[in-house]
Amino acid sequence: MMQSEAPELLDQAPPDTSSNDEENMAELRSLLLGPAEKQLAEVHTRLTDPRRQMEEVSRVLPAAISVRSRQDHDLTDALAPTVAAALHQSIRKDPQPLADAIFPIIGPAIRKAIATALNGMVQSLNQTMAHSLSIQGMKWRLEALRTGKSFAEVVMLKTLLYRVEQVFLIHKNTGLLLQHISAPGAKAQDADMVSGMLTAIQDFVHDSFATPAGDELEDMRVGDLTVWVERGPEAVLAAVIRGNAPEDLRAVFQETLEKIQLQFGMALSEFAGDATPFSATASLLEDCLEARYDSGSPAANVKRRVTPLTVIGAVLLIVVLIWGFFWLREVRRWNAYVERLRNEPGIIVAENGKRAGKRFLSGLRDPLARDPQQVMQDYQVNPQTVLSHWEPFHALTPEFVLARTSSLLNPPDTVRFSLTNGTLQAEGFASHLWVNETRQAARFLPGIGGLNEERLLDLNRIEDPLLRFELDRAELVPGQQQSLDLLTADIKRLQSLAVALQKSVRLEISGHTDGTGSGARNLMLSEERARTVASVLQARLPTFANLTINAVGSREKVREEVTENDRASNRSVTFKVVTTEAK
Amino acid sequence: MQKKICMIGTFAVGKTSLVRRFVESIYSSKYHTTVGVKVDKKIVRVGDEETTLLIWDIEGAESEHELRKSYLRGASGYLLVADGTRQDTLYKALTLQTRAEEAVGKAPFLLLLNKSDLADQWQITSRDLAALEQKQWNVINTSAKTGHGVEEAFLTLAEKMAEKLNG
Repeated sequence: MMQSEAPELLDQAPPDTSSNDEENMAELRSLLLGPAEKQLAEVHTRLTDPRRQMEEVSRVLPAAISVRSRQDHDLTDALAPTVAAALHQSIRKDPQPLADAIFPIIGPAIRKAIATALNGMVQSLNQTMAHSLSIQGMKWRLEALRTGKSFAEVVMLKTLLYRVEQVFLIHKNTGLLLQHISAPGAKAQDADMVSGMLTAIQDFVHDSFATPAGDELEDMRVGDLTVWVERGPEAVLAAVIRGNAPEDLRAVFQETLEKIQLQFGMALSEFAGDATPFSATASLLEDCLEARYDSGSPAANVKRRVTPLTVIGAVLLIVVLIWGFFWLREVRRWNAYVERLRNEPGIIVAENGKRAGKRFLSGLRDPLARDPQQVMQDYQVNPQTVLSHWEPFHALTPEFVLARTSSLLNPPDTVRFSLTNGTLQAEGFASHLWVNETRQAARFLPGIGGLNEERLLDLNRIEDPLLRFELDRAELVPGQQQSLDLLTADIKRLQSLAVALQKSVRLEISGHTDGTGSGARNLMLSEERARTVASVLQARLPTFANLTINAVGSREKVREEVTENDRASNRSVTFKVVTTEAK
Repeated sequence: MQKKICMIGTFAVGKTSLVRRFVESIYSSKYHTTVGVKVDKKIVRVGDEETTLLIWDIEGAESEHELRKSYLRGASGYLLVADGTRQDTLYKALTLQTRAEEAVGKAPFLLLLNKSDLADQWQITSRDLAALEQKQWNVINTSAKTGHGVEEAFLTLAEKMAEKLNG
């Protein structure tokens, strides 16, 4: 006011001038204004003298700038184009001073930028490698397969430090939902009901635990999710956060809530169920949808890899793998062994399990079957780890019946056994004694229904009969034709059986005499008698060449000579079958 | 438009069953005690406008002291539920109503006499009804089991709330 009025007064002075009045006026003025006149003149100089003005403005300028800057940004706005133009001008004129000025900043800044970029590249490379090759990566891939999410999504969820997935703006008094926003991809339930339930839970907690006024439920945690609740005077902001959010995020929520209270205070007070005025809060709430991801710094990765826990884990894993290998091998060997036993004739496995830390095996075993202990060696099963119990039994399979029969009857090597429909087939030739015993025993052997002797020759049939001779002559007593026929037939049978059994047989013909007459004569006579029979047999059996004769005279008597009949029996030839291996 | 309404009544009068019948059209004779509160939602049409009813099914309260005011806060209306086969539940409903009015003020409400399918066990007398009429209360017989009166009850309440807002 002063500044604008003062010049007006001064300016109006000149039009009033008249020659006489001028002095009076000057006097009046000096009277009226007196001391102020000097001040007015001073003010006048200050206003008109540019130098003074400059001095004065320069005195208040710094303070004025700082006062104004504190008030608002208008000054900055006003100065910005000028400063920009000045800089532009200065660089155009001579870029050197500016280059010199910013040189100390620009070097480190560039280095930092390059380092950050490289670091980021290395990190993302590391992360990709780590995630695709590590066990964790495999696990995540499996999880992706299982849940049907993409691998990238799983990696994102796992490396997520935190993410605000949903934000509810709730009317405090009614618990009704005013606004709800969710992060892209986040699963959102019926927000109206969630809002109501959230309010109900707060009421429930507040009432149930009689907390002092002002103490309210601040957060809820379920697994990976946390619900943070911030309260304003009329609205509640609830944020659903996955992961661990830093406490300073609360400040963001609180700030948002304050802004909403400020802008929508009226609407909040008047709210009666119509949420449309609050659709505009969405943009404010979006500031709350924050997320931070684990950058997985390489240093941390390296550290993690060499922790003692990792080493122990790796050692344990190796131990488990080795143990697993041996365990698996042992199991396979054992199973193969048991399988072998199951297929082994004469062995029936009844029980296969574990007892007192050892493997246990029990069942039935024919004494003629293979020894399970021996089989165990074939399969490299350690006998120390096995308890077995075998009950003896008689297996009735043909091979066992045969084996058992052979071991009991002990057949000579000129007899072969076989089994046909439970009937024992004996093939070959043997002494009368053995044939008799076998006939008896065959009736009591388990698994044997009878004895077939069709191809069994009792050697008595050849060795028992005598061919008698006339007194003191080498001529057969007449009427022995039948005996000769039988003998011939039996020798033929013997011959064919020997061929079948790959044996060679020789028939020894011994000539005998009675005890009368001289020894020399008797010896000669006995030889003649043997020759006679030999030639008779040779004529009957042209293919049977293996005949030997043996002259024993009266040395080996067929019978002790008491009666004439005994002497007649001694005038004879006898036979013996000698078996040798076929050549 | 959203409205919060509350189900108020003593134990086992059928509050939860009425809500389930109204919201999901399901009835189960199994009895479940509600602990705290369960919030359900159903959208109804009142006139030309769609209203989302957020139904707070509050745990049964034996006396007015047990009824938690905090659950009632902000409700635009409420359904007072009594069991028609147990006369005492009606008297308890009367006391609970006083408490509710303290909490939410003069909000619209209806009295539901539930279990109307059990006519042979009905204990509500004509004297009771006369007294209610004198109080100018809106009374509806309902059955969560058959569905009788359930839809009507909720819709009537919704209409009364809309009237109050407009009038």
